[in-house]
Amino acid sequence: MTRQELLDRRALARQLSLAGRASVADVLSEADSNFKTEKPAVRIGVTGPPGAGKSTLIARLAASRLQHGERVGVLAIDPTSPLSQGSILGDRIRMDEIADDPNLYIRSMPSRHAHDGMADNITGMLAVLESHNFDNIFLETVGIGQADYSVRTLVDTVILVVVPESGDTVQAMKAGVMEMADVYVVNKADRPGAKRTVTDIQSVLALKENNPGGWRPRVLQTSSEDGDVLLLDQAITDHLNWRRDNVDLLAHRRDQARYNVEMLLNRRVGELLADAEPAQLDRPISDIYADLVGRL
Amino acid sequence: MSLQGKRILIAKPGLDGHDVGAKIITLALRDHGADVIYTGIRKSPDYIARTAVDEDVDAVGLSVLSGSHQEMLVATLDQMKAMDAADIKVFIGGTIPPDDHAALVAAGAAGIFTSEMNLEDTIARLEVALA
Ligand code: B12
Ligand SMILES: Nc1nc2c(ncn2[C@@H]2O[C@H](COP(=O)(O)OP(=O)(O)OP(=O)(O)O)[C@@H](O)[C@H]2O)c(=O)[nH]1
Ligand SMILES: [Mg+2]
Repeated sequence: MTRQELLDRRALARQLSLAGRASVADVLSEADSNFKTEKPAVRIGVTGPPGAGKSTLIARLAASRLQHGERVGVLAIDPTSPLSQGSILGDRIRMDEIADDPNLYIRSMPSRHAHDGMADNITGMLAVLESHNFDNIFLETVGIGQADYSVRTLVDTVILVVVPESGDTVQAMKAGVMEMADVYVVNKADRPGAKRTVTDIQSVLALKENNPGGWRPRVLQTSSEDGDVLLLDQAITDHLNWRRDNVDLLAHRRDQARYNVEMLLNRRVGELLADAEPAQLDRPISDIYADLVGRL
Repeated sequence: MSLQGKRILIAKPGLDGHDVGAKIITLALRDHGADVIYTGIRKSPDYIARTAVDEDVDAVGLSVLSGSHQEMLVATLDQMKAMDAADIKVFIGGTIPPDDHAALVAAGAAGIFTSEMNLEDTIARLEVALA
């Protein structure tokens, strides 16, 4: 089994840097790249508002998998400053308890031009990770608002982490990320109001029509104060099992292709707009638009 | 000049809890465009070296105010060598008496920074060193 081979951390780290830094032109010239995957990893996306406890929770989910001898990769994204283009990458310090496990690899990335909770070239970076035979890949998004749900397209299971008192049933009914999760986690359940938040989310989910055989999202509470994450692990396993028999993989791949092309176009448009002579922007919007489309 | 695209690990090795300087440097680097990973306090040289490798950083900055700068620098450099990462530059800053600078440089420090230096100069020197 390749998995028993020691992870070449330095090589992996450098490949990820290259993939992360690739320009639009680089990505296009190396498209359908040389990173081959023998066995796709299980991809688990963890999303939710800033500070909800995503990184802390990933550490606990990773720990239980490492104990079973599985290889775990974590790709954790933090926001790029719109002012300096710099960033503070602070997710991995929540994972210190497991940091010395040889089967764990954590990589922090800045979001750079992406505004959807992801990072530039996220697809390429996931492909690099996968080529190193990980059993599991956790993808932590930037702390998100209500409308960032690209992670859905990139992973098998989406966990949405919220905290107690994140609003009432009206928030839970709103469109966007609240519709996208496979498992809802009310974290910081040691704080007051967790039960109430669970009930609010559950009651809204119960109102939704459910296709027979469709996945019924789970709603759970967790707290870093208490022992295990068994229930959450079980919910993830159940979802993955359900998914194996029910998800249209071709449609999922097409969604990914759509996403990749859209992101590259977004970046290219951003580059063109940044390079535009300021006076060009004084023209009517329809002219600017036509000019831009012409230069794409 | 700018640090855009540079990945820098700021780390506090050993039992030293003085973290104000490390945080100031972390924020200043971010504000000059760097992607900065900050470890928090009380990290072992082994942890720091491994993080530097996994994060593929361009540089490591150790912040030491406890007086154990020489031990911590040497231990970190040794671990990095063992992980085949001797090419990553290691800077050190904090409470470091002038008499100790030569020994740090001899051991492999890529630069030494103390509270007597102003912050803009510190950043400018790092920009040059990492250009
Ligand atoms: C504030 C302070 C404290 C605070 C710390 C609060 C905190 N969370 O940081 C408290 C009160 C908790 C404290 C406690 C102690 N302290 Co104290 N403390 C200081 C003091 C007065 C200022 C340190 C400071 O914050 N400076 C401001 C920052 C911005 O400066 P800086 O850290 O030097 O960083 C700048 C540069 O050095 C550089 N830099 C720093 N790191 C890096 C890294 C890189 C990569 C780069 C490029 C640059 C860089 O850039 C920064 C910005 O310009 C110093 C004395 C002094 N004047 O330095 C003593 C001092 C550091 N403490 C000292 C001691 C002994 C202690 C205690 C052991 C006291 C005790 N007996 O209990 C404890 C130990 C605490 C612990 N767990 O480690 C001694 C250390 C002696 C030594 N080095 O041999 C000092 C030097 C005082 C002295 N003269 O005796 N301390
Ligand atoms: N009380 C309590 N605090 C928690 C819990 N889980 C995490 N925290 C704390 O919440 C803070 C944020 O935790 P993180 O894991 O960094 O949260 P995050 O969602 O990854 O944050 P960002 O990546 O910045 O969006 C830290 O101080 C954690 O220690 C919990 O269950 N209960
Ligand atoms: Mg986080």
